[in-house]
Amino acid sequence: MLLTFLFFPIFKWLQCVTVPVAEGKSVQQTVEMLNKKLEQLGAVKQGNFYVDCETYHAGAPAIANSGQSQKFLYVMHNSEAPLSCFALFENGPCLVADPNFDVLMVKLKSYFQNAKGNKVESRGARYQYCDFLVKLGTITMGSSARGISVEVEYCPCIVANDSWNLMMEFMQSFLSSHVPGAPAVFGVKPDGIYSPSDTMVQYLELFNKVRKQQATPSTGMR
Amino acid sequence: MADVVSVGVNLEAFSQAISAIQALRSSVTRVFDSLKDGMKNKETLEGREKAFVSEFQDILQSVNRDLNELERLSNLVGRPSESHPLHNSGLLSLDPVQDKTPLYSQLLQAYKWSNKLQYHAGLASSLLNQQSLKRSANQMGASAKRRPKVQPSTLVIPPQYVDDVISRIGRMFPDMSIELFRPNGTSAVLLVTLGKVLKAIVVMRSLFIDRTIVRAFNENVYSEDGKIDIWSRSNYQVFQKVTDHATTALLHYQLPQMPDVVVRSFMTWLRSYIKLFQAPCQRCGKYLQDGLPPTWRDFRTLEAFHDTCRQ
Ligand SMILES: [Zn+2]
Repeated sequence: MLLTFLFFPIFKWLQCVTVPVAEGKSVQQTVEMLNKKLEQLGAVKQGNFYVDCETYHAGAPAIANSGQSQKFLYVMHNSEAPLSCFALFENGPCLVADPNFDVLMVKLKSYFQNAKGNKVESRGARYQYCDFLVKLGTITMGSSARGISVEVEYCPCIVANDSWNLMMEFMQSFLSSHVPGAPAVFGVKPDGIYSPSDTMVQYLELFNKVRKQQATPSTGMR
Repeated sequence: MADVVSVGVNLEAFSQAISAIQALRSSVTRVFDSLKDGMKNKETLEGREKAFVSEFQDILQSVNRDLNELERLSNLVGRPSESHPLHNSGLLSLDPVQDKTPLYSQLLQAYKWSNKLQYHAGLASSLLNQQSLKRSANQMGASAKRRPKVQPSTLVIPPQYVDDVISRIGRMFPDMSIELFRPNGTSAVLLVTLGKVLKAIVVMRSLFIDRTIVRAFNENVYSEDGKIDIWSRSNYQVFQKVTDHATTALLHYQLPQMPDVVVRSFMTWLRSYIKLFQAPCQRCGKYLQDGLPPTWRDFRTLEAFHDTCRQ
């Protein structure tokens, strides 16, 4: 059986990209290999991180079952912002709320049903290397590991366009050939200033890919 | 000592000349005394006038005689030798009581010192002139004509003049905004915002830059009490490095006679950091070295180098 694992590098402003890696290795082995590479580079481990995402079906059950296109609401948390809760509509706005937003969602269950079993999360180690912040996470859905997320942040720079070449060079130093080219969406807000919800949008795109992967079994799995 | 005397002055004539001066002074005093006393009491008016005139003539003749004597003696005294390097102060060597008043040796010592001082000051001045800023040296010709001859003394520049210089520099660079604060009296503090890359705090002393701190665009500029924070270092390694280099630049750009040129040169140099995250190193061609972008900017060409690639 050939196993294909996915890398999902996440950058400020950048769309995640899937890159197949080493055959015959488990997710756990690959994460360990990457951790080792980072430590060899001189990166220092600084605790752990997590990002999780719950899916809610929007609208009353009658509408949801009527065959109309369903709308989803995603509620996400990020250990970098422990006092915030992010609520995102598909292709819609991102709402930054207090953490007790979760309680509110329970009260609104007649309008938003929690799609149990659809919870996706990424957990792993947080590394600092000079002014770079790297988060290597194992993406799990239910109880199975589905892929690896790589989030790279260059903290001193707030304009993604400016630091693109620099980030590429840094990622090459531990991801070698798996570094993606500049994605198409790169430059949507070329002069805009980064905000934490931009990261959440990228994680959501990444998690949705993981979900679809499950829905249509990848040919690579055979 | 006898030699010196024979070459220099005739001491005999000298002392006679001094006596002659005394005599002259006393006869002149007598002239005015007699004029002050006026005519003496005599029986007839005619007798009074006669006595007064004859006395006055006598006195004037003695003045004339004393003056002639002094002129004669002064020719004998002769001129003091001009060949001595210390001129008249060389005569101090004639003082016979050397041990008690060593004025002459002290004078020689002081003379040597001042000679040396002048020599070294000359060397230092020519060296400093060679070190002057190349870029600004080119502009010196043109700007010197516009500049008024008498510069304001660089340490007591009116705040208005500083404001003018800074606002003129601010207008030169559209991607750079300069705000001026005066939190502590007359000394200005500048907050320089460069694009969306960095913020630099520049502490001035009159028109001289005292110190500077560079921080990221999104780092705090004000401390908790709302005052501008001129002390805290940046949390990011890249801006700690840039701060170090900026301090080096302050030491490099020195032109004490033209502080406004120094400020302008420094700002021109600082502005080259607009591409801090975008410019590869001009030596190794890479963006990163030990996790840092090229933080050094050449003082003349403004090219980007890694700290270790700049040699
Ligand atoms: Zn270099």
